[in-house]
Amino acid sequence: MLASQLMDLRGMLHSQGVIFAYSGYVTEPVLSGVGEALKQKLTIDDADTKTLRSVFAVFVEQMQNIIRYSAEKAQPALAPASDPRALMEIRYGILTIGREGADYMVCAGNLVERSDVERLRAKLSRIRDMSKDELKALYKEQLRAEPEKGSKGAGLGFMEIARRASKPIEFDFTDVDATHAFFALKATI
Amino acid sequence: MRDKLDIQATTRTPAVSFDFMQNHLKITGESYPEDVTEFYGPVFTALDSYLGKLGSGTCRFDFELIYLNSSSAKAIMMLMDKLDAAAKKGAAVDVYWYYDKEDDTMQELGEEFGEDLENAKFHLEKMPG
Repeated sequence: MLASQLMDLRGMLHSQGVIFAYSGYVTEPVLSGVGEALKQKLTIDDADTKTLRSVFAVFVEQMQNIIRYSAEKAQPALAPASDPRALMEIRYGILTIGREGADYMVCAGNLVERSDVERLRAKLSRIRDMSKDELKALYKEQLRAEPEKGSKGAGLGFMEIARRASKPIEFDFTDVDATHAFFALKATI
Repeated sequence: MRDKLDIQATTRTPAVSFDFMQNHLKITGESYPEDVTEFYGPVFTALDSYLGKLGSGTCRFDFELIYLNSSSAKAIMMLMDKLDAAAKKGAAVDVYWYYDKEDDTMQELGEEFGEDLENAKFHLEKMPG
């Protein structure tokens, strides 16, 4: 029973071409570790340098989006003062890396507030529909701009993903409950 | 002012080698730190202190970056701005951006940074080998 259940889960991922899957709380050390394994696998696959760097770059941005923005989080009420990290919240998300022919797909999903969905949809639609030159111009503009309210980085993550992708990015939202929606973003390299 | 700033590379942070006596500063490797501010804060401080005293002296800055994430790009832009400001005040600043010829993304990024330099001299070069 146990073996067949896990085997089924693996089989389902396998049938979709998934070579890496992580579902759970994501921390920076998880990003480091999975990232190293991903680089090794891409090297074994003999991926060319540009593909390797682009898959890795998209993976880093997708992981950091989960770490910073997933609306599903856990945080201890009290933690020992000796370890400030222990007080940090951790956030939940799912990330898969798949292969289809010569293409690699990096997909990430996490909960977001329903009140953020329209803003995210507008932002991502705009980026998806841009040419590489338009993306470059927007990237430069954003690099010089003050980050948006609530942003924990440079506000360049989605643009970096779209610039590294070889096809337009795909995204989707589905309502989960009264306040949350599940957000999924896919990039093909 | 210190003579040198030397930070060893890690998996996620580049090597920083600022030789202030030789006026030769260099950043090499990959940059996707856990905390960009924590990593680049001391780099900015050391650079500010050096450039503040540079006057009309010369300075060479080499960027030899293989990969940087989007939050590091902002930090690199700030380094470029500091170098350009020193050049505006009269220093002779040469900025070299080395890119891996197999990865045109880093070449493009270098071009984008270079376009914004008004006073420092920008050089775009392939990494040797």
